[in-house]
Amino acid sequence: MNRYSKIVALGLTLVAGAALAGPADNSLVVGASQEPRVLAGDFLNVISNQSIKVEIENYLFAPLIVQNLRAENEAVLATEVPTLANRRLRVTDIGGGKRRLEIDITLKPNLRWSDGDPLDTDDFAFYFEVGKAKGMALNNPDYWERVNLRVRDKQNMTVIFEPAYYYDTYGSPMGYAPVHKMGPEWEKVKAAAAPLNPDRDAQRLNELYRNFFQQFSSNQAINAGRMVYSGPFRVQRWVSNSSIELVRNPNFNAITPQGGANNYVQRVIYRIIQNTNSLLVAILGGGIDATSTVGISADQARSKQLTSRAAGRFDIWAIPGAIWEHIDINKFTNVQRVRDLTLDDKRTRQALLHAINRDAWVQAFFDGAEPVSHTWVAPSNPLFNPNVKKYEYNPARARELLAQVGWRPGPDGILQRTVDGRTVRFELDWVTTAGNAIRARTQQLFIEQWRQVGIAVKTANAPSAVVFADDFIQRAEEGKWVFFMFAWVSSLAEDGNLFQFKNLNTGAQLVPSKENNYAGQNIGNWRNDEFDRLTSQGVLEFDEARRKQLFARAQEIWAEELPALPLRFRSNFLVVRSGLVNYVASTYSGGNGYPGWNAWEIGWASRGAAKRHDQAQAGGIAIK
Amino acid sequence: MIPLLFAASVVIFTLLALQPGDPLDELRQQNPRITAEQLEQLRRAYGLDQPIYVRYFKWLGRALQGDFGQSRTYASPAGQIIFGQRLPRTLVLSGAALTLALLVAIPVGIFSAVRQYSRADYVITFFSFVGFSMPIFFLGILLLFLFAVWLPEQIPWFPKFPVQSISDFQWSQVQSGEITFLQFIGDWAFKLVLPVLALSTIQMAAWTRYMRASLLEVLNQDYVRTARAKGLGERVVLYKHALRNALIPIVTLVGLAIPGVFGGAVITETIFSYPGMGRAIFDSLVEKDYNVAMAALAFLALLTATFNLLADLMYAVVDPRIRYS
Repeated sequence: MNRYSKIVALGLTLVAGAALAGPADNSLVVGASQEPRVLAGDFLNVISNQSIKVEIENYLFAPLIVQNLRAENEAVLATEVPTLANRRLRVTDIGGGKRRLEIDITLKPNLRWSDGDPLDTDDFAFYFEVGKAKGMALNNPDYWERVNLRVRDKQNMTVIFEPAYYYDTYGSPMGYAPVHKMGPEWEKVKAAAAPLNPDRDAQRLNELYRNFFQQFSSNQAINAGRMVYSGPFRVQRWVSNSSIELVRNPNFNAITPQGGANNYVQRVIYRIIQNTNSLLVAILGGGIDATSTVGISADQARSKQLTSRAAGRFDIWAIPGAIWEHIDINKFTNVQRVRDLTLDDKRTRQALLHAINRDAWVQAFFDGAEPVSHTWVAPSNPLFNPNVKKYEYNPARARELLAQVGWRPGPDGILQRTVDGRTVRFELDWVTTAGNAIRARTQQLFIEQWRQVGIAVKTANAPSAVVFADDFIQRAEEGKWVFFMFAWVSSLAEDGNLFQFKNLNTGAQLVPSKENNYAGQNIGNWRNDEFDRLTSQGVLEFDEARRKQLFARAQEIWAEELPALPLRFRSNFLVVRSGLVNYVASTYSGGNGYPGWNAWEIGWASRGAAKRHDQAQAGGIAIK
Repeated sequence: MIPLLFAASVVIFTLLALQPGDPLDELRQQNPRITAEQLEQLRRAYGLDQPIYVRYFKWLGRALQGDFGQSRTYASPAGQIIFGQRLPRTLVLSGAALTLALLVAIPVGIFSAVRQYSRADYVITFFSFVGFSMPIFFLGILLLFLFAVWLPEQIPWFPKFPVQSISDFQWSQVQSGEITFLQFIGDWAFKLVLPVLALSTIQMAAWTRYMRASLLEVLNQDYVRTARAKGLGERVVLYKHALRNALIPIVTLVGLAIPGVFGGAVITETIFSYPGMGRAIFDSLVEKDYNVAMAALAFLALLTATFNLLADLMYAVVDPRIRYS
């Protein structure tokens, strides 16, 4: 081949590269705006718990039990879902209001890792041993404090929780890791860690453990083939800052999709384009088949450039997520400003919510693709109660409620009242994270609407690092903030912690104050003993119907008392090329709402993939 | 210079440590069940419980031996990320952009000066101003949209430019014979076209204007008139007498731009998904990945100090009137 023909061949390869993607070679190119720091070997998420890492690992590791689009358990590596009815779930009272849960798991026969080695209970025991190692810097220490494992044989084991909560029955109760690959190295780490003291040598222990995970999860380790996989895909190549290529794992036999695995995508390429505008251009250019959860923004998904080119090429979906945007209100009565503004009176809070038009807001800002919230519980959560008190846009009602509290319009229209001989004007300082365009625009809109009822609101925004630092967000008691807009993640494993004054099961006080070293998430200081009782009881209730009743009542109380102003649930936006089936997500699919929870059945209809799931039926809102 | 670098590293380290919040804030946001005691344990595990000066001297001790610590976000040694990955890539991108800018700006500037007030001069002046005033985030996206979407949509044979500027090809694939060297270089070069073009535009436009102005000023000097009066050819007058003097301010400008080549170009790197120094510094500051930020910023401090020293020494070489004693 002479020089010119080589150049022509190269040019053709580059041009053809884009055309070959998708159904033509049964591959899937996913566009993501984030790169995982590590993959696979960091099985306890000690180095990283990024969303993109968890999403890609959906393809690489099959769970024991997966949570489907309706957040229901479906068996993958386990033979069946443990239930009270099949006696694989056993709940016993152990006194002191505590319960113990035993979950019997049987693994499907002949499970294998991608290198052909058997996958059995030894791999679960290994995971458990590493998680229980002294001084392990875990992200979910409360799980590890309560869990235990009893291996019965190579296929059978019992996972025990003590004390147990209902959400321990959600998804996989235990993870696993390849002991045949990682075990020998772990033995060395254990020997090195033996003389160390978790309090005195915490940093040294952490370095030891991180090095261990890194040896099986870094870019170099993955490319050197140091890791094995159990899911429908394995990593072929990871080009740092560019792409991660996964290919079908022939040893995955836990689930065979309809018509056989060959009818489904054989190669998945995660293309990493950090700038979301550039990612949008890549989608428009046709180089991307679908976007990751960590992909484009709401504005970009609804941009004219995309929607005008979508017909017949792409479906654009808004998937309501678990991130709950709200305004927390300071209710510490020791704070003068709180008393002055009557923020500790529920009528004031109700008036604040009646005065803003949230329906028009989500319509104008998000084309209705992000739903208004009425409590902190996401509508996809099985515990969600749709029949709570709702606060429609009603400025007249807002004025009436404020008048009941004692507010009267002042000469300039701003409400005022007299407190101990002083005239107090209704002026609020509203804090949120600076630099967030949607929040800033929201402030402009709501400030105008509150002004209509006589409330003057000023913004006092600061960078995330400032407002989320312990000495700010946790210090409402010191009056650091009175009105604070931010987001919490509304967990599927709902336990009421965000608004409990006291957890009656653990005794922990959840309002940050000097006494508890400013711990806890009830940052605005709301106290409702019935709410505490219902939610504390609810987490111990393994009967779903009874649990629903308890949480339904808790939500009613919350909506009546309104400790915070519920605004909306953010959506995740997915762009999916026409013809790609089962690339679907819901608020809690796979436990966290990412696509790829059913990686084995993602495919192109034109290549014979059978469509099992419909995004619209799973709560997806189509963007046109 | 050593006390200066020591002082700079103290200031950088202190400023980083004084940033509000710490790397665990994000974790607390994500996991409402995490308790204060558990956070304290994590803080101890990451060494965040120690006073700033203890952390600084630990860092200094290791850095002097070439160990910049581990990156928390990249899970690799910070020195390897900065000096092994990011710096070479930044040098390729910024070096190529600088070279392109020079190769275009100098001849175009000369042309524009020589043909002052001609139609071509007006066109060049117009585009120089456009290029100079175009924000790079806009120009970058515009180039991407044009070359990756719009032109390929309009013209079927037009090559579709990639949005990603990093090649999927790796050197190991050339070594194993999977791809040829030509394919490897070709793919890298093809993907660098747009970012190099975007990054060079502003400098190209600015230097064209400087070159034009500088040459025009020289062309009006007495010695140029004398050269012409001596009956020298226009080419000799221009290239031998005028241009050499006109280039002096340009050389100064280029010299000033060189440290910037090492620092990276955060906006261009972001738009074109190019992992260089700019993004490494920006991301490490946002993610509070102190080891990476320290390695990069300390390196830039070293470079700045070194280039200042070199510049001082160069003055003596260039201008015989300057002597150091």
